[in-house]
Amino acid sequence: MGKIHPDRLEMHKVLGGSKRKPDDTVTVSRRTFLHKSIIAGGAVGAATYGWLPLINTMDIAHAANNIRFAWVSDTHLYPKSLNTRFVDKANRAFKEIEAMKPDFMIFGGDLAQVGMPEELDLGEQLLRAITIPKYFIPGEHDWYLDMGKLWEKKFGGSPWSKDIKGVHFVGLNTVGQAPDFWSAKGMTARERMGHIEPLDGSVAGPWSGLGPEQLKWLDSDLRKVKNNTPIVIFSHNPLYEYYPPWNFWVRDWREVHEIVRPYSNVTNVHGHTHQVLYNEIGGMRSIGMLATAWPWPYAPDGVPKLTVPHVRVDPGDPYDGVGWSDIQYSSQKGLDNEYKMWDRDVFATAAADSGTSDNTGLTLRPRIADRIWQY
Amino acid sequence: MLNKRSTKIWIFAAASLFVGATLFFLTGPVSAHKKTHSNADMQAFDDAYMEVVKIGDQLFHGGGPPAKEYGLTLSKTGMACAMCHPFASDVHPHQFPKFQEQMSEVVGLREMINWCIEKPNEGVKIGIDSEAMIALEAYIMWSHKGTIIDPGTH
Repeated sequence: MGKIHPDRLEMHKVLGGSKRKPDDTVTVSRRTFLHKSIIAGGAVGAATYGWLPLINTMDIAHAANNIRFAWVSDTHLYPKSLNTRFVDKANRAFKEIEAMKPDFMIFGGDLAQVGMPEELDLGEQLLRAITIPKYFIPGEHDWYLDMGKLWEKKFGGSPWSKDIKGVHFVGLNTVGQAPDFWSAKGMTARERMGHIEPLDGSVAGPWSGLGPEQLKWLDSDLRKVKNNTPIVIFSHNPLYEYYPPWNFWVRDWREVHEIVRPYSNVTNVHGHTHQVLYNEIGGMRSIGMLATAWPWPYAPDGVPKLTVPHVRVDPGDPYDGVGWSDIQYSSQKGLDNEYKMWDRDVFATAAADSGTSDNTGLTLRPRIADRIWQY
Repeated sequence: MLNKRSTKIWIFAAASLFVGATLFFLTGPVSAHKKTHSNADMQAFDDAYMEVVKIGDQLFHGGGPPAKEYGLTLSKTGMACAMCHPFASDVHPHQFPKFQEQMSEVVGLREMINWCIEKPNEGVKIGIDSEAMIALEAYIMWSHKGTIIDPGTH
């Protein structure tokens, strides 16, 4: 884990050195004033971190028509017989979205916990509550039991792109290109999933990435749109390096940033991290989404300086620290992301209540049982 | 001059000291080792410790064979400790004992482990001094080796 720091320095040098911002049309509104005051502080990553009064949305201007969509991800459904809590929370999100009737819903991956047909069937059944258009990208929990066969049969393939009301939306598959860690060890499908399932597993290694073919596709897809077109890229994993040991990154983030470099208005909306996150690197901003199932702790290293962390979660309250996102574009207000976190305020107002201050000063080690040779 | 009572006390004290010293030299302190530790000894101690850490790792990541062996129900929801605590992060073993809001009292790490098993995971509490508890504690502490002890901090 000692390698993370030099890598991050490189990222800032390569991508942050030019002091580029995501676009020139960022406006300061009442709700983002404090947030923007940090950004105005200097180059990416150089801002001084501080504790801020409550804010619950981010407004970033784009010259787009009105469009509203909902993001749900990381429902991690088990069979109903084992866990009804996750089913209840997925149902609650879907009901709220259906009542709101946005233009579309994007499901950002990890519908299932271990990709079993029973889990994906359950997810498909729950999703029937949504009557608006639905788009999908996979998570690793949906993929590694049968290498995405059932997922793609039910929810379609990716990557894809769509132009809706002047915004270019892209859906990536950041989970299906893992280096083969299973064949040489003769793992069964369940054993393969067993190494993907824990966030802190070390056998599966850096499984998240776009891969050469998808990078080529992304490059050719974006060449079809003008440089100032609002672009929203949906991905399960963040498209920057946050914390590789938990695959809070894509391993080919350098190539992704090279591809999006010519475009001035790029927003990456991602899942997997189960927490409030905000970052800007070069011309792209990234917004991390909540899970409906459970929140992950902030990593001990690498939380972007631009992130206002979410509040410390109460482990006794299954509806705390989780939820979905209501995202809107309008030509007047720009992009507005509202975290629909159930039961609690979203953002920490003091260090003692913060999910990030919890983990400062920890020295953590990768798990040991992974290193027992079982094959 | 000593009176008779003082003389008896001195005789009793001297006799006790003599008996105690004799027993000490004959048997030695119960727990002391008599030989210098070799590298092989140190390796054996470490092997024994790491075996327990590995058991704790498996229990922490869903139970595995040790949970069956010990007859434990650590969770009835499918959730494992590691699902909220990857690399045992957010456990904060270095802060215990501390005031724990969920229990409204100052508790140790083991009480908190049992709270998590019983409440969020809806499992069955384990013995506070059981092998499983020691293994869980060993894994959590091993994961945090090098973290500065900071007891009582919220």
